[in-house]
Amino acid sequence: MSINQPANPGVDGRLGPDEPVKYKGPGPATGLDSPLRKAVYKLRRDRWGMLGLAIVIVYALIALGVVLGLWGQDWSSTAGPRWAGISAEHWLGTNLIGQDIFNRALYSTRTAFEIGLVVAILSTLLGALLGALSGFYAGTWIDEIILWKKGVLDAIPFYLFVAAVAFALEGNAWAMHIAMIATFWTITARLVRGEVIKLKNLEFVEAATAIGASRMVTLFRHILPNTLHILLVQGTIVFVSAIKSEVILSFLGLGVQEGTSWGLMISESTQEVLSGQFMNFIVASTMMFILVMAFNLFSDSLQDALDPKKVH
Amino acid sequence: METLQYTLRKLITGLPLLFGVTLISFALMVYFGPDLTYELVGKNPTQEQIERVQSELGYDQNFLVRYLDYVREIVTLDFGQSFSTGEPVADLLARTVPVSLALTLPGFILGNLLGILLAQIAAWNRSGWLDKLIMGGAVVGMSISFLVVIIAAQVIFSSSYGLNWFPVRGWSVYSLADYLYHVAVPTLALVFVSLGYNTRFYRAVFVEEMSRDHIRTARAYGTPPIPLMLRDVLKNSLIPIITRIMFSIPMIIVSGSLLIESYFGIPGVGKATFDAITTGDQPVLKAVVSLTAVLFVLVLIINDILYKWVDPRVSLK
Repeated sequence: MSINQPANPGVDGRLGPDEPVKYKGPGPATGLDSPLRKAVYKLRRDRWGMLGLAIVIVYALIALGVVLGLWGQDWSSTAGPRWAGISAEHWLGTNLIGQDIFNRALYSTRTAFEIGLVVAILSTLLGALLGALSGFYAGTWIDEIILWKKGVLDAIPFYLFVAAVAFALEGNAWAMHIAMIATFWTITARLVRGEVIKLKNLEFVEAATAIGASRMVTLFRHILPNTLHILLVQGTIVFVSAIKSEVILSFLGLGVQEGTSWGLMISESTQEVLSGQFMNFIVASTMMFILVMAFNLFSDSLQDALDPKKVH
Repeated sequence: METLQYTLRKLITGLPLLFGVTLISFALMVYFGPDLTYELVGKNPTQEQIERVQSELGYDQNFLVRYLDYVREIVTLDFGQSFSTGEPVADLLARTVPVSLALTLPGFILGNLLGILLAQIAAWNRSGWLDKLIMGGAVVGMSISFLVVIIAAQVIFSSSYGLNWFPVRGWSVYSLADYLYHVAVPTLALVFVSLGYNTRFYRAVFVEEMSRDHIRTARAYGTPPIPLMLRDVLKNSLIPIITRIMFSIPMIIVSGSLLIESYFGIPGVGKATFDAITTGDQPVLKAVVSLTAVLFVLVLIINDILYKWVDPRVSLK
């Protein structure tokens, strides 16, 4: 799907499939036949996707509240009794060392958004950049080197790679983020590369070249914006992958170093569940499940809205 | 003959990949990895002892010399002995790899078979309530963390708070009954966690295949659903299915089992490698990482050969 291309015929009934498509000139496309607007329209009509988005926004507000200091600040105090039940003081009880589970779960929302956003944004940008270069210079040494890097990263098992990065950086709090960004860009790059190879032979690229746009301007100003639909969907997928990987890495001792997270809460709970204390486990995994589920629903409907070729 | 030529050519193009993997694994895991000197020198070492251990470990050499040494040991399959236990690496692999395979293979196979089955049902009932139910279930399954699945499976099946049918942890397998007893809960967790992804992937493949003309013709001739889905749809969708399964193989052997092995205390290769990273056990790391990379290249080659076997129109060039 291309934003710069003339609109597809047929959807609003004004143009039949046999009539020639009228090119309306450059500039912001308006009206229902703008692909972007059609996508937004389609997205807004997808009930499950909108439900997902609403839940994600609620979580984002919770995370924002933690950043602003409105709630979830009391997550590390061990003042409470061990394994207290639900009470007015501890809404969801306390854990093994008397920390308030409700506060910890709220604070972890912030951690999840921090990890998800940092990893999703940076790895998508990296994937877009390398994928675009690789596709634009397909068949040359630039492409070969990028494909080689991709192949090497795919051939090293993910958790071993993260463990190695974590130890090479010696307990750096960003080791996990760096390792995830360094591995998650490959899928985005592969998709962007394919799309750029397809786009670079289209007429609008020829037109850009004809009016004297340099190669870099052609690539980053004219071609790359047309892969936005891939980047948006990939961003949401990476966000979810990052949150899910955090849990496993934190359990292995390679994850979150400062603060707390759902992964750390679930890891703590492994010592509690066999004593019959399920609160920590249930709260952390439910909080996480709802966010991941909502993001998956949103991601699916985003994909439906942006990719006309997707099979339903 | 064509296949042999192809294989050789592919093996040669796999060399840069092996070079990259060994370089990254060396730089990350060995050069910048944990320093082992003080673990090996014993108590109250003299300066001389420290220097001797450091030169044994090669710490006094520069990056290039150490890297070439690393590669030479890989090429000559001279992996030596584990730094931490003194066990020969070949023995360690012979002991741990079969355990990991026995642990993950049943879950891997079942997860894929069930995924294909559910995807076929969903694709046949496309847009019907059964399809929506299965795909909704898949999204739910995809949204649950692997660790949560493992903990929940353990509580439900292995603890006194649940059914208490299976062991909480460990791997003391001496007979088939022992094996089934220990492998049941990990398999269940593996199937659960992979089923959502598998079903979604396979359904997309089947739905695409079903929109083709030959399927429409077969339906018009009145082919019943089961032969249609198996003979016409499944058989023609084999290429993406093979790709997915083949590319999972290097990963299930090493990293796929790491979490389960750590959680259930099972002595497999995933756990052994993880321990090697945390303790800087260079010989073990070298062996596992290079074998995984070789396996990856082999998978790439076998995958292409299987393509040709499944679809004779594919030419190996």
